Amino acid sequence: MKKKFNEYNLSDPMSRRTILKVTGAALGAGLSGVAGGGITGSLLDVLGTGSARAFASASALKGKPNLLFILGDNHNAQTMGCAGHPFIKTPGMDRLAREGVMFERSFNTTSLCSPSRASILTGMYAHRHGVLNNHTPWTDRESTFMEHLSRAGYATAFIGKWHMPGKLPELPFLDLFVTYTYREGQGAYFNTPMLVNGKEVPSRKPYITEEVTDYAIEFIEKNNPKDGDRPFCVYLSHRPGHPPFQAPADISGMYDEADVAEVLPPQVDPLWYGKTNQNVFQGVMMGSYYDQYRGYCETLTAMDRDIVNILDYLDRKGLSDNTIVIYMGDNGMQWGTHDCHGIREPYEDSIRLPFIVRAPGMVKDPGGKRKQMVLNIDIAPTLLDLAGVRAPADMDGMSIVPAIRNGRAKTRNDFLLEFWRYYPENTPSYRGIRTDRYKYVEFERGRDPWLFDLKKDPKEMVNLYPEKNESDLIKMLQQKLKGYP
Amino acid sequence: MPKNTFMNRFVMPVVPVLLLAIIGYTGYFGSREIDHYTLHQVVAAVTGTLYFVAIAFGTLYVFTSSQMRGATLGESILASFITPFIWMTKEVLVLLESHPFIECLYWYVSPLHIWLVIFMAIEMGAASLFVRKKKMKRGEEAGGKMMPILVVTGGLVIFVLMYAWGKGENLYVIFLEGYRLFFGSGV
Repeated sequence: MKKKFNEYNLSDPMSRRTILKVTGAALGAGLSGVAGGGITGSLLDVLGTGSARAFASASALKGKPNLLFILGDNHNAQTMGCAGHPFIKTPGMDRLAREGVMFERSFNTTSLCSPSRASILTGMYAHRHGVLNNHTPWTDRESTFMEHLSRAGYATAFIGKWHMPGKLPELPFLDLFVTYTYREGQGAYFNTPMLVNGKEVPSRKPYITEEVTDYAIEFIEKNNPKDGDRPFCVYLSHRPGHPPFQAPADISGMYDEADVAEVLPPQVDPLWYGKTNQNVFQGVMMGSYYDQYRGYCETLTAMDRDIVNILDYLDRKGLSDNTIVIYMGDNGMQWGTHDCHGIREPYEDSIRLPFIVRAPGMVKDPGGKRKQMVLNIDIAPTLLDLAGVRAPADMDGMSIVPAIRNGRAKTRNDFLLEFWRYYPENTPSYRGIRTDRYKYVEFERGRDPWLFDLKKDPKEMVNLYPEKNESDLIKMLQQKLKGYP
Repeated sequence: MPKNTFMNRFVMPVVPVLLLAIIGYTGYFGSREIDHYTLHQVVAAVTGTLYFVAIAFGTLYVFTSSQMRGATLGESILASFITPFIWMTKEVLVLLESHPFIECLYWYVSPLHIWLVIFMAIEMGAASLFVRKKKMKRGEEAGGKMMPILVVTGGLVIFVLMYAWGKGENLYVIFLEGYRLFFGSGV
């Protein structure tokens, strides 16, 4: 049963979701009153979902860009052709980088899948949205950028890997919600049963990237703004490169001859290197480390093929010029650097994200590279800005539209790194700050703080904390860290 | 035949496997300090293999040797578990860096460890059959072969099924569900 306005306890930790529901209902009701119900009713019928979009006029939407946000999984920022990787084939990402701009200093604020995904959706740090690790449920308390876009009249679809713990939310503001809960929400590379608007349906295409891309293309086809006035926003969330790595038959094995030793650190051996530090046993269970890395690259190439497909589709439909495409990863990935395998340590390989924006007409230097510091929490305010929708003031991220336009536009000089221990990974909870030059991290237990001078030591080989623990530099960084809530 | 001492029938079979594991472990992780690429790769491959063999296949030797030296079935099983248990405990201790002690204990029942224990059961069954044959040749009293055959067959079936069921991923999901049941999100 729907709550009345005064039934909401506004003294609760104030959920923006609640505010949106209440104001949406109130605005919808008000508009119904003004329009006598008739016009609003028919408009709602056309729009398909609730009263939320009743006040978005068709003319106001004219000329708004379509938005296609593509998310990869555990994608190391260097593992793209356009980033200089020696053998991986990523023509789709390369095309995006050639026609758009690539941000070379993009980061996540919490280096773990679920918190990062929640940050992307909400524009908030993890301590704000509450998804602290992959065991902490999505609370449905905070609104997402997709909800704001939907209210502004956009046709919205979330397609692919949701991967946040807890009960799958309904997200009624979406026109299409396609996801899966199979295996902790990780899905499988082949034949994953899909949930389409809450109903389970068998997979239609065997391979997961093809499956979700087809849904995205169908959605765009049905919501082609050339046929109407509503622009679309599609959030296409892929599974590659999450283990266990399985590529489709025609891609599997394509890197068998690739020289993996050229890419991985020299202390990594192909046969016994394992996932957990000091555990060589898992290596043999999972297969040779070199083969795992090849498999990882193959899955990324498989995903890229479907990026090519959707870009080609946009071309064929004449939508490319008015569709902004962003590709990003949820985390980076360490492949043996610092004797670590995984995504959770606060090293650069884990926290750096691939981040490419193609924004026709907006980017004056296609193929350019950006040095500004951008974050996963910037996605929400940026997409809202691109759509001309005002971002809620309490989002932690900032719009990077000025940086997309101009390589000299200012973004930020530092950000908060935070992580909550996640069983069974052996990384303690930590909190730190990453500035243009330094990275300072304090751990909850088990480790002394880290201090790296990223200018002099970009590979983070020397922890300066022991020699500088009384220095002004440390005090300054500690002060900055304290400045974050 | 006089009964062997505890040292002889229990400790002596364990020592070579434990030593092999220690040498393998030390050599493998020490190899990361070797700057010479090829030398590092060779040392890592050899010592990594030794380490893995000691943990995964050590039971074959320990069980056989202790049985041949007159250990009881219980003693042989216990002796077989010593090196793998130390390895499991090391893994549990690694987690202490980030998780409370009680949560670390839960790692003992991780799918990887369960897999290892089932594999060890298969090895013990196979070793029993081998020991039985040897003892019969010597004219000594040997137990029946039904139980070892059942253990080997049953163990193999479980082992293969565990892998076949989502390459172990589904088991891992159950393990994580168990974690959340006991400890919530842990934070």
